[in-house]
Amino acid sequence: MNPADRRLPVVVGVYATEQALSLPDRDAMDLALEAVSGALMDAGLAPSDVDGAQVDWPGPGGVPGEGSSWARVLGRDLRWTSDSMLDNAGSRGLLKAAAAVRAGFADTVVVGGCRLVSRGTGPVGAGVALEFADVWGSYVVAQFALVAARHMHEYGTTSRQLAEVAATIRNNGTTNPEAMMYGRGPYTADDVLASRMVATPFHLLDCCIVGEGGAALVVTTAERARDLPHPPVAVLGGGMQYHQAAYANPALYREVGGLGRPAAERAYAMAGIGPHDVDVFSLYDPNSFEVIRQLEILGLCGEGEGGPLAASGAIAVGGKHPVNPDGGCLAYAWNGTQQMTLKVVEAVRQLRGTAVHQVAGAELAVVGNAGSGAQHYEMSVLGRMR
Amino acid sequence: MSRPVPVPTQLSRPFWEAARRGELVVPHCPTCGLRFFVPEPACPGCMARDWRYAPSAGRGTVYSVTVVHRAPGPGFDTPFALAVIDLDDGATLLAHVDAGDPGDVVIGLRVHVDFRALTDEITLPYFVPENRPSPSITE
Repeated sequence: MNPADRRLPVVVGVYATEQALSLPDRDAMDLALEAVSGALMDAGLAPSDVDGAQVDWPGPGGVPGEGSSWARVLGRDLRWTSDSMLDNAGSRGLLKAAAAVRAGFADTVVVGGCRLVSRGTGPVGAGVALEFADVWGSYVVAQFALVAARHMHEYGTTSRQLAEVAATIRNNGTTNPEAMMYGRGPYTADDVLASRMVATPFHLLDCCIVGEGGAALVVTTAERARDLPHPPVAVLGGGMQYHQAAYANPALYREVGGLGRPAAERAYAMAGIGPHDVDVFSLYDPNSFEVIRQLEILGLCGEGEGGPLAASGAIAVGGKHPVNPDGGCLAYAWNGTQQMTLKVVEAVRQLRGTAVHQVAGAELAVVGNAGSGAQHYEMSVLGRMR
Repeated sequence: MSRPVPVPTQLSRPFWEAARRGELVVPHCPTCGLRFFVPEPACPGCMARDWRYAPSAGRGTVYSVTVVHRAPGPGFDTPFALAVIDLDDGATLLAHVDAGDPGDVVIGLRVHVDFRALTDEITLPYFVPENRPSPSITE
């Protein structure tokens, strides 16, 4: 990164609210406000310093779903906003905010919020009726399972390899006091294999938890970051890929097995690095298999080689390619869309050197968000600046 | 509570009407020749809007399958085999394959359509293994 690059987008603040299976005394607005305030405090900025808000506005107050509701409580007119839940979270939110900062549409953008999807009715999924999926009981776990099953068929990936992934990431959560599953475990691959079957090949412990919580981050320019309290974390590169909308069609391995690879290649090229330069990975782990697939598309191994690589110990905190030292969605938190922001929060903490399970000397991190079986992928490369 | 019942749209109504008659139809684009599923407002091959439903022989191969033990809601008898089926004459769709024992439904299994009424309005295209009579009769 060029120190003279004054508009280089950097993350200067991150915050995660408490994450729990249920937060009965909290509502989404309350959690979103806490997340925004917390991220601004972490950044050393005041609400009036913010000129862009890509943040969920669940209400009450304002107009639910309308991002410009934030202008009133931030106390100033905004130059940039978003009304879409997926643009308000994770790598996708971060990259859009970074693009706005880079282009000069805004100088300081908050991304995040809270959506209590677990309080909705019906299975977690698209959130709308899907005519040709719902009637067959085709929900999130089953759609990911259809991809995993085909990978296992083609490459001999085993249930035990999946279980090793689940146990490794879950055990990071066992010893993370912020994790929903703190103190539960530790787990062995045998424990995962002995848990009840949800949808083959996924046992209960292969699948992520479902809970509640919010998160936020603050993006600004490298120039603005100079006098802020934390070392800035640069957005060095990014890439996104959208195959189709969520869950209406089943994800087919032949179409989505490589989903994210072109996005990752673009992101690495933009950052001027390769996959083996990355010190820590913050990856979407709705289930054990999706981690294996991402090891492949992120270029850490060839197609079909992700199972043996994941089971070799490579993804442990002390391994070659540490994945989700916070416990990930499997044990730290899955809270709807803002779990994607939690992936950025963990990457930033790792690069600041303040993570609970710190990867020694981490200078480069990759955040990978995905979803729907997976039908979309959003990847960013983050780097420590000083 | 019961299983979610599809609500036909202007795109899908002919599919459900055909299913009620015991016929499987899939969108076919006369411009580029593509057969696809689910129905879309324009052809995924060429964006033509004048696609029409065309009959399928209803035979195909299981591309992938998961045996679902925990259903997403009430109204499902678990476990069931949820499969992706590549039809021989084009298009890929999601359905249950009823082989008696869901564990018998494996990738590569040859299947054919077996319509079963869900409601008065909606009949579903289940699939059953080829060369085997339908293992159970309508629900």
